[in-house]
Amino acid sequence: MKQKHNIVAKLLGGLSLLIYFFLWAPVIVIIVFSFSSNKYGTSWDGFTLNWYAALFNNADVKDALIRSLVIASITVVVSTIIGTITGYGLFKLHFRGKQFLRTSILLPIVFPSVVTGSALLVFFTRFIQIPLGYPSIIIAHIVFSSPLAVFVILGRMQRFDWSWEEAAMDLGATRFRTFWRVTGPMLLPAIAASAMLIFPWSFDDFVITYFVAGIGSTTLPIYVFSQLRFGATPVINTIGTLFVLLTMVALALMYFIQKKNESI
Amino acid sequence: MTESNNDSGHEQGLICLDIKDAVKRFPSVTAVDRVSVQITEGEVFSLLGPSGCGKSTLLRLVAGLESLDQGSISIAGELVNELPPYKRDCSTVFQNHALFPHMTVAENIGFGLVERKLPKSEIKKKVTEKVDLVNLVGLENRYPDQLSGGQKQRVALARSLVLEPTVLLLDEPLAALDRKLRKEMQVELKRIQREVGTTFLNVTHDQKEALSLSDRIGVMRKGKLLQIGTPNQIYETPRTKFIATFMGATNIFLGRVVSERGDMVELEIENGSKVFAPLPDHVDIHSVTGFSVHPELIDIVAAKEKKSQTDPQKKTSFSGRIKEVLYQGDYSELTVSLDHLNMELSTFITRGSEYDTPDIREKQEVVVFWDSTDNNILLDD
Repeated sequence: MKQKHNIVAKLLGGLSLLIYFFLWAPVIVIIVFSFSSNKYGTSWDGFTLNWYAALFNNADVKDALIRSLVIASITVVVSTIIGTITGYGLFKLHFRGKQFLRTSILLPIVFPSVVTGSALLVFFTRFIQIPLGYPSIIIAHIVFSSPLAVFVILGRMQRFDWSWEEAAMDLGATRFRTFWRVTGPMLLPAIAASAMLIFPWSFDDFVITYFVAGIGSTTLPIYVFSQLRFGATPVINTIGTLFVLLTMVALALMYFIQKKNESI
Repeated sequence: MTESNNDSGHEQGLICLDIKDAVKRFPSVTAVDRVSVQITEGEVFSLLGPSGCGKSTLLRLVAGLESLDQGSISIAGELVNELPPYKRDCSTVFQNHALFPHMTVAENIGFGLVERKLPKSEIKKKVTEKVDLVNLVGLENRYPDQLSGGQKQRVALARSLVLEPTVLLLDEPLAALDRKLRKEMQVELKRIQREVGTTFLNVTHDQKEALSLSDRIGVMRKGKLLQIGTPNQIYETPRTKFIATFMGATNIFLGRVVSERGDMVELEIENGSKVFAPLPDHVDIHSVTGFSVHPELIDIVAAKEKKSQTDPQKKTSFSGRIKEVLYQGDYSELTVSLDHLNMELSTFITRGSEYDTPDIREKQEVVVFWDSTDNNILLDD
């Protein structure tokens, strides 16, 4: 029996290694080749930092990067605010259609992004006149990010001891002061966790952004895509590497904040 | 504030909490059903009753955490019906203490003072006073998760007391503590109350806690306040069958008044026997449904020992047979089946008392007897 166990364990171990390899190999290749002096970034010719230098001198890249950062930042702020207020309302208030609202809130992230993207495009151009560019992209990002924030914050509220709020009010704090001194700080880890989830989500988004961006508003993912159509250049590798780094930092931060969130 | 003039013989004093005909309905039940009570300054008043009787809801109505459907509540003469909790001059000690986990002990205690915008130095002074009062010196900078259950409860107490409220509301504050700790905290609570003199409105389901802590007790059941009185009155003269059973007077005889003899009444019970009991003031003899007697007041001897007939106006006695003896060490609990009556009497024999004889054993024929003045008249529930 033990023999069999060992063989099965080894097989499963081997399978996991294979999966991780396929997961990480492309990423590692890109990271490695971003330092390669090969003109097309497809093989190893020697170490160089030229491509990173070129990146920092590229106005288009900087433009796209700033656009992505601005959009992600605004999205994070607005989505977490919407998420907090919605979570509060869904948890504390009782009204008709509450159950419906609670389930339908998740729809934007359940729909395929192609569907959401094209639907939003039609909405922005035919139903209400929202200029394509910053306004349309930001609204679209908020649409698919807020549900995430609601989800995380609502989840935290289920584990929240609401007698803290009662105690605060009993001791003389108004509803606002209670939120400011008690509920807010207690919810902060959850709010931060949802921010850490939303930022990379928004920053990395391609499909929905591509639909609603219109002409001339390029986010970083869209820039990379458009460059690829002209053939691979090592700049793609550098951007890819930076992407991975940024996302990993965000995830690491989120991990530590989530840990704090759980310990309360 | 108005002068109090209630009927339970309590000392005259200023009324600091006046509840009139309070009603609170929930979709499935009326939690508080026309309750009225006046609490005087400086007293410890306990709302006693089983789970679901409405005592916690009543407390929350006073605190402002629930809103009244009908009736009124006044604190220190001021009508508070429409006031939110943060504007009412009362403070609550919650059962689960509800300490803010992201604040230290000192910050927790000072919470309300910060809301009152007091200067830092004064807050520090007041907090230090209260920390000393509840015996938590040295723990000011700890966080709640570093404290024991009893310590947490003391912080909660200090946090409320530091605001010097007109009434301190306690929602079964000791229920979550283990037995030994509960007894210690009861003593602590009493000491602190005597020291600060704050009026306490205490909610509990524990009769012993209510008896030892309170100046007056109000017994509640199914949303109604059944009886208000001093611990002695509630224990020794419970007014209804429910209260009697709740307080441990488990020997209940049903019967009706047939005549009056001076300050006693004659009751006829199930088998036609006549029993005498003192008639309390203001009681309508037509609403008398029987009487109760506490087990510890009943004396018991072997049948063959009982010689003379007793005067029923002085002593009530029955013959019976011991059904069961439950040895508890320092005392034994006896169950006696009474002759000619479909009833079992419960009594105690303390070890070493004159009734603790070898004759007292199961299946022994006995006579139980007690002073007729110990018979407590019961009214309709």
